[in-house]
Amino acid sequence: MKLAKIGALAATAVLVIAGCSNTPAGSGGASGATGGKTIKIGTEFPMSGAETANGEPSANGVKLAIKQANAKNAVAGYTIDINVQDDAVNGVHNPQQGATNLHTLVADTAVVGVVGPFNSSVAQAEIPIGNAAGLLQCSPANTNTGLTYPPDSAQYRPTNPDKINYIRLAAPDSIQGPAGADYTYNDLKATTVYILDDTETFGVGVGNSFSDQFKKDGGTVTKRDSAPKTTTDYTPLFTAAAAAKPAAVYLAGTTPTGMGLALKQGRTVPGFETIPFMGPDGVADLGPGGTTGATITVAGSAAHDVSGTVAGIHDLPSGSTFVADYTAAYGKAPGAYSAASYACAQVIIAGMAKAVAAGTTDLAAIREAVRAGSTVAGNTFDTVVGPVGFDKNGDITTPYMSFYKTDLTAAGGKGDWVYVKQQAFTDPNK
Amino acid sequence: MSSARQRLAERAANHQSITILIGWALIGALLPVVIQLPPFSTFQTSSSWVDGFANAGGFILLAMGLNIVVGLAGLLDLGYAAFFAIGSYVYAFGASSFTGLHVPFWPMLFVGALVAASFGILLGAPTLRLRGDYLAIVTLGFGEIVPAVFLNADTYTRGTNGIGGVAQPELLGLKFDFSNPVPFYVTMVVILAFVMVAIYRLQGSRLGRAWMAIREDELAAASAGVNTVTTKLLAFALGASTAGFAGVFVTSKLGLVSPDQFGFTVSFTVLAMVVLGGMGNTWGVAAGAFILYEIQSVLLKQLNQFFQGLHVPVLQNIDFVQYQFLLYGLALVGMMLLRPEGLFPNRRRQLELHGATDDVADIPPPTAALGD
Amino acid sequence: MKSRRIPVPRFAVIVVVALVFAFFSLGVQQFQNFLTLGAVFALIALGYTMVYGIIELINFAHGDVFMVGAFASMWLLTGPLGLPDKPIDDPIRLTGVLVVVMFVTMVFMGMVGVIIERFAYRPLRHAPRLAPLITAIGVSFILQNVIQALFSSSPYATPQIFPKFKLELLGGSIGALNLFMVAIAVGLMLALALFVGRTRLGRAMRSTAMDREAAELMGVDINQTIAITFFIAAALAGAAGVIQGLYFGSIQYNLGFNAGLFAFTAAVLGGIGNTTGAAVGGFAIAYIEVSAAQLGYSRWSEVAVFSVLVLVLVFRPSGLFGQALGERA
Repeated sequence: MKLAKIGALAATAVLVIAGCSNTPAGSGGASGATGGKTIKIGTEFPMSGAETANGEPSANGVKLAIKQANAKNAVAGYTIDINVQDDAVNGVHNPQQGATNLHTLVADTAVVGVVGPFNSSVAQAEIPIGNAAGLLQCSPANTNTGLTYPPDSAQYRPTNPDKINYIRLAAPDSIQGPAGADYTYNDLKATTVYILDDTETFGVGVGNSFSDQFKKDGGTVTKRDSAPKTTTDYTPLFTAAAAAKPAAVYLAGTTPTGMGLALKQGRTVPGFETIPFMGPDGVADLGPGGTTGATITVAGSAAHDVSGTVAGIHDLPSGSTFVADYTAAYGKAPGAYSAASYACAQVIIAGMAKAVAAGTTDLAAIREAVRAGSTVAGNTFDTVVGPVGFDKNGDITTPYMSFYKTDLTAAGGKGDWVYVKQQAFTDPNK
Repeated sequence: MSSARQRLAERAANHQSITILIGWALIGALLPVVIQLPPFSTFQTSSSWVDGFANAGGFILLAMGLNIVVGLAGLLDLGYAAFFAIGSYVYAFGASSFTGLHVPFWPMLFVGALVAASFGILLGAPTLRLRGDYLAIVTLGFGEIVPAVFLNADTYTRGTNGIGGVAQPELLGLKFDFSNPVPFYVTMVVILAFVMVAIYRLQGSRLGRAWMAIREDELAAASAGVNTVTTKLLAFALGASTAGFAGVFVTSKLGLVSPDQFGFTVSFTVLAMVVLGGMGNTWGVAAGAFILYEIQSVLLKQLNQFFQGLHVPVLQNIDFVQYQFLLYGLALVGMMLLRPEGLFPNRRRQLELHGATDDVADIPPPTAALGD
Repeated sequence: MKSRRIPVPRFAVIVVVALVFAFFSLGVQQFQNFLTLGAVFALIALGYTMVYGIIELINFAHGDVFMVGAFASMWLLTGPLGLPDKPIDDPIRLTGVLVVVMFVTMVFMGMVGVIIERFAYRPLRHAPRLAPLITAIGVSFILQNVIQALFSSSPYATPQIFPKFKLELLGGSIGALNLFMVAIAVGLMLALALFVGRTRLGRAMRSTAMDREAAELMGVDINQTIAITFFIAAALAGAAGVIQGLYFGSIQYNLGFNAGLFAFTAAVLGGIGNTTGAAVGGFAIAYIEVSAAQLGYSRWSEVAVFSVLVLVLVFRPSGLFGQALGERA
C-alpha cells in the first residue's frame, strides 16, 4: 500500500515536471532582433519578497541593455538573450540559493557573463564558483571592501588565484564612507556626528569607514548605534543620542532597511529637528517625492536638509536617454542600480563583440575572453555611467562620487534630490 | 502493551540497517540517472540538479535530526536553526583563514556535532522540565539569540560580513571544489545513510522506546521507571548533533557562513518538512524535506518559464516569482487541511489518532497534547 | 483568559511601583517612548494570549493581522477619506476621523480574524497539535504576499494627521499623540477586561478556555465562542495597526513578523492565557527595548528580550503572573 502511494506520488511529480519542460531551461524573454546563434548574459539578483525592489530594477537595466544591443546588432551574427536567476528564498536573499543559481549559469554554456549579485554575502558564496568555471560576474551594487581588496579577496579564488572573475561598478565602502565624512566635516561644517547603522553588511561597512575618516578629519563621533531593519521605533535611540548634542547625523544604511523611517522619527526628537542628516546611496536614492518607497516619500516633511553620496558619476554621458528609455520600457523610473546594471551588461557585451570580431566562435572561448578582457590594464568600456576601466583587483579605476541634497520645493513641491557636486574620489587608505 | 511491543519489534525488523544502506545506495545512484532523462533534463541542467540534491541533503539531515526531538520524543523545538548555526560556525572557526586554523573536514564533522550537542544539553538541562508549549517558546528564544550573537559579536565572527574562504573537504587526494558538486552529493548520501541507520537503531532500542513512551504520556513513562530528564536530554543532544553535522557540511560546500542564514524561517522550514513528511516516520520526514526543498528552490523559481511556455495569454504576463510566498503559504495550508498527519504518517501514530477521534469526538487526541 | 486572578489592590500597587521605577530610570522623554511602544506591544500580545487561552494555538499569523490592520487604516485614510499628509487642527473633525478609522479597521480586521479561524484553524481542531501551527505560518505568508501585491514591498509612508502638539510637563515635552495612544490602549484593555469578566459572552469564553467539553455540556456554543475570541483578538491587533500607522509613520508588508514575535514573547512573559499578564508583558518588553537604546546597546536589545524570556521561564515557568496551562500541567 505504501509502495502504491509512493508510486502515485512519483507519477504526479513526473507529470508536473513534464508539464514544465515545454520550454528550454532558463530563457527569460528579453529578446530583440533575430540573428543567428544565441549568446546569453545571466542576471543573479533577489527577485521576490522584500527584495524585489532591489533586484527587479537591476534586472530590468540588463534587459534594456540587451534589447538595445540587439537592435543595433552589437554582436555580429549573434542574438543576445538573458538567463534570469532569483536568489531570494522565502523573500530574503540567500547565499546557498545564489550558489545554486551560479552553478546553473555556469552550466548554461551560452552564458558568457553574469550581472549580479546584489548582496555581498551572496557574492562571497558565488565568486569561488565563478572562479572555478572562469565565468565573469559584474556586480552593480556590492560594496563590501573585502570582495576585491587583497588579502581578503584571495580567499574567494581558491581554484584559480590569478584569474579575476569578479568586477564591480559600485564604489566599495572604503570610498563612499570617507567621501561622506569629508563632505560632512568640510561642506556641512559639522564637527560632531551621531552615526546610526542598520546592522546589514553595507550599513556597517560604510558606517565604519565614515567613522574612521571623520575622526581623521578632526571631528568627533558622539555616539554610534546599530538598529536592525526590523526596528519600528527609532525615537528612543534619538532621544538617548540627543544628550551629546551632535551637529549632524549619518544614516549608515538604506531606506528599505529602516533609514527612511529613522529620518522621519528622528526629526521629531528635540535636538534633531533642524540639523543636517547625511547618508550613503541607499538613503540618497534620487527618487522624487511620491515615488513609492523613496526616502523623500517615506520621510515626508522630515526630509529637509538631507545630503547624500551616490557612488557614481552624475553627468551620465547618455544619461538623459537612459532614464527616458527605461521609463518608456517599464513604466516607472529606474532604480538606484538600474544604470549600473545596464553598464555591467555593456561591459560584457563589449567583451563579446570584441571576441566575436576576433573570430572566436567557441562559446567557452568567448566566455574566457570576456573574463580576461575585463581587467586588462588600459581597457576602457564606454558605458551609460561614463568610460570605465577595472584595476587588477576588479575595482573601477576612477571611482566618482556625486553629492546630492534634498529640496522639498523641487519636483513641483513634491520634493526631490538636487545635484551638488561630483568628484573623482580614491580610497584614502589604498 | 505487549501488542505495541510486538509491533515495535516488527518495525525494527522491517528496517534493518542493511535495508537502509541499500535503499540509500539505490537512491544515490538512481537520482543522477533520472535527471538525465527528458522531462528532468530539459527542466534544469544536471549539475544544477546534483548541486540542489546536495543542498536538499542538508535539509534532510536537519529534518531527520528535528524528527528525533519532535517526532520521536514529542518535544516541540522552534529554534532548531540555532544548532545548525553553531555547527556551521564551528567549522568556519576550525577551517578558514579568519582564525588561521586548518583542521581537516572529517574530524570537524564530529567536532561540529559534539559542540552542537553540548549546546543542546546546555539549553536543555534547565529548560526540559518545562512542559509543552513553554519549551517551544524557550527554544524559539534561543533560536533568535544565537544568530543575533553571531551577528553582534563581530570581533569574533566578522559580524554581518560572515566568514568567507572556508575550506572544502579533501579525501584521499581528491580535493572537493566548486566546479563539481558530485563529491558533495556522494558524501551527503553516505552521511544520510549512516545517520538514518543510527536513528533507526536508536528508535528500536531501549532509549527509542523511552522517547515514545514520553511522547505518549510523560507521567506514565516516569511511573514506569523511565528517567525522563536523561531521556529528553539525550533526544535534544542527538537532535542538535545532527544539526551540527548539517552545519559543517553546508558550510564546507558553500565556503561561507553568515548570520543571515539561520533565521526563524530556517527553523520553521525544517519543522514544516517534519510535519509535512509525517512526524515520527524517518523515511517520511526525509521525503518531506526533499519535496519541500525542491518546491522552494526549483519549482517556484521555474514557474515563470513554465507559464510562458504554456502560452496562456493571461497567465503568461503574471510574474509568478512575485507570488512565491503566496503559493508557498497556500501549499502549506492546503497540505495541512488535506493531510494533517503528513504525507507519510507514522503508522503507529496514525492508528492512535484515528482510534481516539472516533471514540470521543471532542477531546483532543492524545498526540495533540504534545507533552502537555 | 483570567482577568480576575490577581486581587486588584495588590496589582495596582505593583503597577504603580513599576511605573515610578520606569519613570526615574528612564527620564521623562524616554518614559513617554516606553509607554507608547508598550501600548502597541500590549495590544498585540492581548490577541495572542486570548487565542492561546481558548484553543492553545500559537497563532503565528497574528502579527500579520496587525500588519494588515495598519495597511487597512492607511488605505482608509488616504483612499475613501482622501486625507492629505498634514495635521488636522480642528479637534471635532480629528475626533470624527479617528473614531471612523478605529471603528472600521477594528470591525474589518475582526472579520478577517473570523475568516482565518473558519478556514485555516477550525478544520484542524482535532488534528495533531502541530498541524494548525503550520497553517498559521502558511496564513502569515499569504497575508504578507497579498499586502505586498496590493501595496508593493517598499516602506509605505502613513499620513500624519495628528497635530504635532506637545505638552511641557515634568521638565520634558510630551506629545499629545503619545497621550492619545496610551489612552486608547488602556481604554481598550479595560473594555476587554470588563467584557471578559462581566458579560455572558465573556463567561462563555472563560469557561471554554477552562474546559471545552464541560462548557459545551453547559450549553455554550463552542464554535461561536471561538469565533468571537478571534474577532476580538484581531480587532485589537487592528487597533494596534491604526496606532502604528499614526505614530510610527511608516509601514511595510513584513512589519508583522517581528512585532508578532515580540508580542508573543510579551504574552509568555506575562503568563500565556492571562490577559492582564499579556498587557504587563508588553510594557516589560518595551522597557527592555527603550532602556537598551538609552544605554547604547540597541543592537543587543533582541538578545536581551529573548534572554529575559528564557530566564523567566526557567525560574518561573508559568510566567510572571501565572496562567491556565501552569495549573493544568
